[in-house]
Amino acid sequence: MASASVRTFTLLGIEAREVVVEVDVTQGLPSFSVVGLPDAAVRESRERVRAAITNSGFTFPQQRITASLAPANLRKGGPGFDLAIAAALLACRHELDPSALAGVALAGELALDGTVRSVPGVLAMAERAAELGIEKIVVATESAPEAALPAHLNGGSAKDLRIVPVHRLADLRMLGMAAEPGYDFAAAPRPTLAATAGRDLADLRGQPALRRALELAAAGGHGLLILGPPGAGKSLAARCLPSLLPPLTDAEALEVLRIASACGRADASLASLQRPFRAPHHTVSTAGLIGGSTPPRPGEVTLAHRGVLFLDELGEFRRDALEGLRQPLEDGEVTITRAAYTVRFPSRFLLVAASNPCPCGRGPTHPECECPPGAVRRYQGRISGALADRIDLAVTVEQPAGEALSGEPGEPSVAVRARVIAARERAAERQGGIPNGELDAAALRRYVRLTRAGRQELARGYRALGLSGRGHDRVLRVARTIADLADSDLVDADHVAGALAMRRKGMR
Amino acid sequence: MSEIWELRRGEPGYPPALEELERPPERLWGLGERELVTELDPGRAVTIVGARRVGEHGRDLAESIASDLADAGLVVVSGMAYGCDSAAHEGALAAGGETIAVLAGGPDVVYPRSKRSLYRRILAGGGAVVSERPPGTPPERWAFPARNRIMAALSCLTLVVEARAASGTRITADEAIKLGREVAAVPGSVTSGLAELPNQLIRDGAALVRDAQDVLDLVLGVGVATVERAGPPLDEELAAVLAALDGGAASLDALALATGLSGESASVALARLELMGYVTTDELGTIARTSLRPPAEHNS
Repeated sequence: MASASVRTFTLLGIEAREVVVEVDVTQGLPSFSVVGLPDAAVRESRERVRAAITNSGFTFPQQRITASLAPANLRKGGPGFDLAIAAALLACRHELDPSALAGVALAGELALDGTVRSVPGVLAMAERAAELGIEKIVVATESAPEAALPAHLNGGSAKDLRIVPVHRLADLRMLGMAAEPGYDFAAAPRPTLAATAGRDLADLRGQPALRRALELAAAGGHGLLILGPPGAGKSLAARCLPSLLPPLTDAEALEVLRIASACGRADASLASLQRPFRAPHHTVSTAGLIGGSTPPRPGEVTLAHRGVLFLDELGEFRRDALEGLRQPLEDGEVTITRAAYTVRFPSRFLLVAASNPCPCGRGPTHPECECPPGAVRRYQGRISGALADRIDLAVTVEQPAGEALSGEPGEPSVAVRARVIAARERAAERQGGIPNGELDAAALRRYVRLTRAGRQELARGYRALGLSGRGHDRVLRVARTIADLADSDLVDADHVAGALAMRRKGMR
Repeated sequence: MSEIWELRRGEPGYPPALEELERPPERLWGLGERELVTELDPGRAVTIVGARRVGEHGRDLAESIASDLADAGLVVVSGMAYGCDSAAHEGALAAGGETIAVLAGGPDVVYPRSKRSLYRRILAGGGAVVSERPPGTPPERWAFPARNRIMAALSCLTLVVEARAASGTRITADEAIKLGREVAAVPGSVTSGLAELPNQLIRDGAALVRDAQDVLDLVLGVGVATVERAGPPLDEELAAVLAALDGGAASLDALALATGLSGESASVALARLELMGYVTTDELGTIARTSLRPPAEHNS
């Protein structure tokens, strides 16, 4: 037999696409070519495969070798094809039993000494393999727990997929034998979903209004803007937020891990899985924040999926980067379209932004602030625009006084989180899973029922405070969350007033 | 409606302030509160005049100043014309104060006719309507300048709100100057037609006033009386939060700590105070007090 084929996967975005590797060995001048739109890393695969085969006790044929990666029109990148190409080549020469490779997919990089290394995206590959009805997936030993995640967290067809962890290329000889290694789901502990994440709210002392704003943001999924001078605890507050959110569900955990796996960072997440907290620096590029480049890579908004995205020094971010947040905030996903394909990255996150009151940070009321009034306005203006509709809450903080800092620790995160979970359950039951922060004008009319006093309070706010139509909707969303926290079906005057106090001032 | 009364020059009850005029009216007919006119102390009365055709701004200004002055116990004198005049009466009435309308026709002839409601409310609200023309006389054109001299004579200060340089308002201001009474004006933009007269008067030496407090300082002396704007009544919690604000707390966190309220209650209280007009917040969330004061306790 002079040709053989095996199945493997390539990663497009965070999804795995099946690729069939066909290897043909014929008489002719010794050569080794790879066709099927390979990138440089795939072409270099030839050298790794040659060395690994030789160093694993197999012989490398001095013949004309052609490896084809199908479908031929899909661009392929990365070192993940090494193991499949080597396996197909060995099957051509019957150094491996071709029948043992039927119904098997392989994904791994080869070291020159024949060691099999892990590749990014094994989780998605295992999911896809199960969907396609593939029986076994061969992966590097260290990738095995990752490949087992769909079975742990999702069950279903993923349970039928056998995972074969291999250390070395030579281990492929055991495929189909009684000695074939297998990953035992039962023996492997399922990933622990950490009970809490980030800093604890107990650390936030002497800032009751800030604590309240965090609770509202967590309970309703509202975007939050924290305004205040440096040292006022803005960053600490944001870091407390993941600990107030409900623990990840299995489905959410799988989404988070799929992204981490595609980025090659699944190991770190597995030890103790938490809601992500991402705090990109304000110099981040648009592609870095939103996702992009070629091949498309997830940006910070996707790495923050199901967690918290914290934009510190919001006024310093590039305007086009902030504009790019519009789609992920509105749709909960990023779509990147290239001529040949479109990839989608999920991006449902809780947005927390912090800003100094002015470029110098001291604030216009500070005696040493020399920022011109126009600069203050421009600085604050950056916060409107793209983010305007998704930041429902604003709170202004000061440096807490000394006695407050040394005072009693505040209520811990677990206590607040219990209220948050109850409020979220109320909202989910009423609205079919949509959090209050994502209610649009039509949904607000449907789900927010005001008492007479509540209506009057809102009307007064509309008149006395000059609320815009959008501002009106933002207040309603927050008021709904306050009512949910108070276990109330109707939104009353106190709930509206509480929302008015945390509205974003002076914004359209 | 009450009866028309008549005051004759030289007889008791005739306002002495009118005697200072070059040609005092021989007789004065009136309706409404007679003592308001017979016992009038010009030192506690202010005449507010301005153009008939003014914008929202001029009317608001006349009304709010009149209201604050009436609140401070001054009598507001004006001519019941459209625009500033009627706004001044409305302001005084709204504050529950006393106001005198000086008409160009007989005291029982309502002019302008569409001000019937205001006319009735002035009489019902303890105010008075006076004229030197006998009852039933229609207001002829020449009677208006003559009426203006009586308006100027009844008070110690004539305040010009908005008016053009050549106007009936100018006549009232000139009469006040001739009488040696104080003239004050609210300045406006130099390019605004309606600010012509006030700006001109200020250039010529009239007092510049920005608000009712400036007028009070002129009439009663500096520091004698302050404009107290009372807001809606406050419950105990709101009063405590307001006190904390007056004590220097400038953020929601500081308010909550100073009052011992939870973040939740403090934010509700702050929003309530903002809706009532006691505080404002800017786009940075900086909290500032307005001039509004809590109402005085009634039964203390």
